[in-house]
Amino acid sequence: MLRYVALRLLYMVPVLLVLSFVLFAFLRALPGGPAIALLGERATERDLEVLEQRFGLDRPVHEQYFGYMRNLARGDLGVSIRTRRPVREELLDRFPATVELSIGAILVAVLVGVPLGFAAAKRYQGAIDQSSLVASLIGISFPVFFLALLLKYVFAVRLGWLPTIGRIDVRMLTAEHPTGFYLLDGIVTRDWDAFVSAAKHLVLPAIALGTIPLAIITRITRGATLDVVSEDYVRTARAKGLVSSVVNRRHILRNAMLPVVTIVGLQVGLLLTGAILTETVFSWPGMGSWILEAIRFRDYAVLQGGILFFVLVVVLVNLLVDISYAFLNPRIRYR
Amino acid sequence: MSVAEAEARELEIEHVGGGLWRDAWERLRHNKGAIAGAVLLGLFVILAVFAPLIAPYGPNERVAGLAATPPGPTAEHWFGVDEQGRDLLSRVVYGSRLSLLVGVVSVAVGLSFGMLLGATAGYLGGKVDTLIMRIIDIVLSIPGLLFAIALVTLLGRGLVQVMLAVGITTIPVFARLLRGSILAVRESDYVLAARSVGTPGRGLLLRHILPNSVAPVIVAATLAMATAIIDVAGLSFLGLGPAEAGLPEWGAILADNQDRLQASPHLVFFPGFAIVLSVLAINLIGDGLRESIDPKLRA
Repeated sequence: MLRYVALRLLYMVPVLLVLSFVLFAFLRALPGGPAIALLGERATERDLEVLEQRFGLDRPVHEQYFGYMRNLARGDLGVSIRTRRPVREELLDRFPATVELSIGAILVAVLVGVPLGFAAAKRYQGAIDQSSLVASLIGISFPVFFLALLLKYVFAVRLGWLPTIGRIDVRMLTAEHPTGFYLLDGIVTRDWDAFVSAAKHLVLPAIALGTIPLAIITRITRGATLDVVSEDYVRTARAKGLVSSVVNRRHILRNAMLPVVTIVGLQVGLLLTGAILTETVFSWPGMGSWILEAIRFRDYAVLQGGILFFVLVVVLVNLLVDISYAFLNPRIRYR
Repeated sequence: MSVAEAEARELEIEHVGGGLWRDAWERLRHNKGAIAGAVLLGLFVILAVFAPLIAPYGPNERVAGLAATPPGPTAEHWFGVDEQGRDLLSRVVYGSRLSLLVGVVSVAVGLSFGMLLGATAGYLGGKVDTLIMRIIDIVLSIPGLLFAIALVTLLGRGLVQVMLAVGITTIPVFARLLRGSILAVRESDYVLAARSVGTPGRGLLLRHILPNSVAPVIVAATLAMATAIIDVAGLSFLGLGPAEAGLPEWGAILADNQDRLQASPHLVFFPGFAIVLSVLAINLIGDGLRESIDPKLRA
């Protein structure tokens, strides 16, 4: 097991190296450099030169790359050309916001999707089953940004139940944020007003982002449960007189969870994609909107750091998913 | 009846279906969801083809004055008008042309390159396979929309470039699927039989392996069309969609008007639901196809 994890981690090194190189070359190949994007079309040659010199953009590309990699090895991700803040600092601001949003979305998807899919499979072809199939098909047909706008219109604009934008009430922005996860911060600092405000801000974006994973998880749970209920060991469990709820929990659900875990893991990539759109609609200050702004301004350092970091997260999560199999299913052994 | 007779009868019963495709067609015809999807998609195709006859006005025709908060649906303008005084119904109708085009072209791009790569990797195997699949693994670790955003930034923001970008992001999916499917088919007995009677490599691939490997790819292609429509709308929404002025792309209409959500929600709702319905239609068909082709579900 340990050997397997070590090998997988080692395998990530060449992948990330190749990616960093491709990303670097790609960004330099883009039309319009950061100096133009920042200073505008009417900037003089002299202004552009000064800015490029300051950020080392006048050096040959390979020199820039090796310089960047040297700094990266020391944990220095460079400085944002737009905000002039270290990329690492910005990343530490933005990343918790997206993680909080994603965890909220996954919770919505799993807490609703798993019971729903299970109930649908237990009453195969019944009313719950049929309507859950239709609902999940409609769910995956909604573009995230449109769903986000609809939710915002109904629950924030019309009904006024929930806030329209941001992570927390602007008056509480100055509250202490030791972890950057606002919900957690509220608990740690015992600032319950901040906690409630952060929770209220999270509801709509989390539902919007969680809907497509919800639809997918419902379908996968249903399919996996259907596969499992006809297994011999389920019949045996019933035959030996186990209570239905025990059979459901220990024999059916536990075995049906295997494909569901895979799917939850696979959703991580999808979540960031959705986060770019959701964060735009709700002005959520996370990774998605950060990377999008960076593209507009050709903010090389932010793009390199942000995208590399993001891919690292996706790869690590996939590894975690693979490892979790071994715990969920003792039949799987990694070598 | 002897066991042999029973087996023979069973074989006969199985044979009545008449092969995978006829079987699949039979199942598809009786799938209510797929029929509903086909009807819905048919409606969108009619809208797209006959847009000039159906739409009451041109997509960029001024029929009312400029307004900061344009009025919603009226008897004259069913979907209301937009801030530039254009009839929204007409724009949405013309928009169906773009969305269908985007879906078909993007998938055609992804499918052709993806199948080429997947077939090469699956058929040749060895080092070529390893190389292609490693590259595909890396590309797959970058989420689709982010990749599309990067490609659009590189290629530019024309309609063609956007379709190309979204198409390219689907290549790995098709390549991987076809490769897996070919690997499974390649070792089957009928391929061995064809090989042993001296069928050359090309014939083996084109006549025997490919036709038996494409079923899952067809399902994926249908579903990818739905994703392509959503992705292009998403790019437009982020301000990275087709940049041609006045293009009645649904995602772009929606994006242009999201700030008017409070006063003129119709400008967001109608194009939004047009996207949902067209995508739903394709998803229904794709789902029906999957159920009818999936060998596990064949009786």
